[in-house]
Amino acid sequence: MVYLELFFSFMKIGFTSFGGMSMIPLILEEMQLHQWMSAEDLTNLVGIAEMTPGPLGLNCATFAGTQTAGILGGIAAVMGVLTPAFTLTLAVAVFFARFRRNAVMESILQFVKPICIGMILAVILTLSEENYWNGAGFELRSILIGGCMLYFILKKKWSVPKVIVTAALMGMLFYGILPYLNKF
Amino acid sequence: MKSENLKKGLRLFAFFFKIGCFTFGGGWSILAQMEQEFVEKEGLITKEELLEMAAVGKSVPGIMITNISMLFGYQLCGWFGGVCSVLGITCPAVLILTAVSWGYESFKSNYWCHCALRGIQAAVVPIIGSAALSLGRDVFATTKGKAIGIAAFLLCVFTGISNIWLVLLGIAAALLTEGVRRHGLS
Repeated sequence: MVYLELFFSFMKIGFTSFGGMSMIPLILEEMQLHQWMSAEDLTNLVGIAEMTPGPLGLNCATFAGTQTAGILGGIAAVMGVLTPAFTLTLAVAVFFARFRRNAVMESILQFVKPICIGMILAVILTLSEENYWNGAGFELRSILIGGCMLYFILKKKWSVPKVIVTAALMGMLFYGILPYLNKF
Repeated sequence: MKSENLKKGLRLFAFFFKIGCFTFGGGWSILAQMEQEFVEKEGLITKEELLEMAAVGKSVPGIMITNISMLFGYQLCGWFGGVCSVLGITCPAVLILTAVSWGYESFKSNYWCHCALRGIQAAVVPIIGSAALSLGRDVFATTKGKAIGIAAFLLCVFTGISNIWLVLLGIAAALLTEGVRRHGLS
């Protein structure tokens, strides 16, 4: 049953990720493995989850679940991704005082955090190929938009929603208006 | 259930619901709002306690902010408070994204929206990249962190290893080194 599959997939994702951004490689992998979403929709998933308010991980899970199996799918995915909070974190809350400086947890994080970064870098590579290479050559318009956004984020410290709106406008300009101008 | 607890739980739900509706920029900006509301205005917890919760919430698997809201809610009124807080932050995300998902297909097939999406797709890599950069800064400060990160990256790119196994491998390696550190090799 697809709801149960979604629930267990996202439970796995929940238990093996630390923080929203580290969830993205895991979500992309699960969605592709089950062929629940196309590569293009998965790129959009990240954009949409960043564009909407609320925590990134919850947004990703809801959108992926709803796209796969409707509203119940979305709820199944969210419940899956919340299982660590309802089990492990609740247990930690009960023993909060004892957990505060836990050497074991800290040494686990020393390994898992760099692994998450490595996974994110690998995803960046795949997404770059997806978005900036059109099979025959470089997709120059996308590269130009990407470069501008990188500049705005790193140098101008723009917030993510602002970046996304600007990128959308540039997309309309480059992909919507420019082809018409070329005809004249 | 005592009616006082019920009231507290509903208040927590309302607070986190509001945060879920209006906060962009993830965990840290939510933490700042919690500080404003519960530390400065109401004095329910101290700043140190909140920071400690954030540190613990970050080191438990899952979404950082749902972990923090669980710890926070539990401290104020037990498991009921924790569940109310987590559901409060979750509901807006589910409602908003379900609505977006319904409109997605027609949105995608509209000419102008399609062009806008191409632009947004081009921005996704810089967004993720800059997040990785700021996350990686302190992680990659140590040689150990660098070595593990690069090894994970290479494994991802050149072998078909699944991400979940990679994380589990990391946890196993951490437990092994911690065990050796404590008890020696004998």
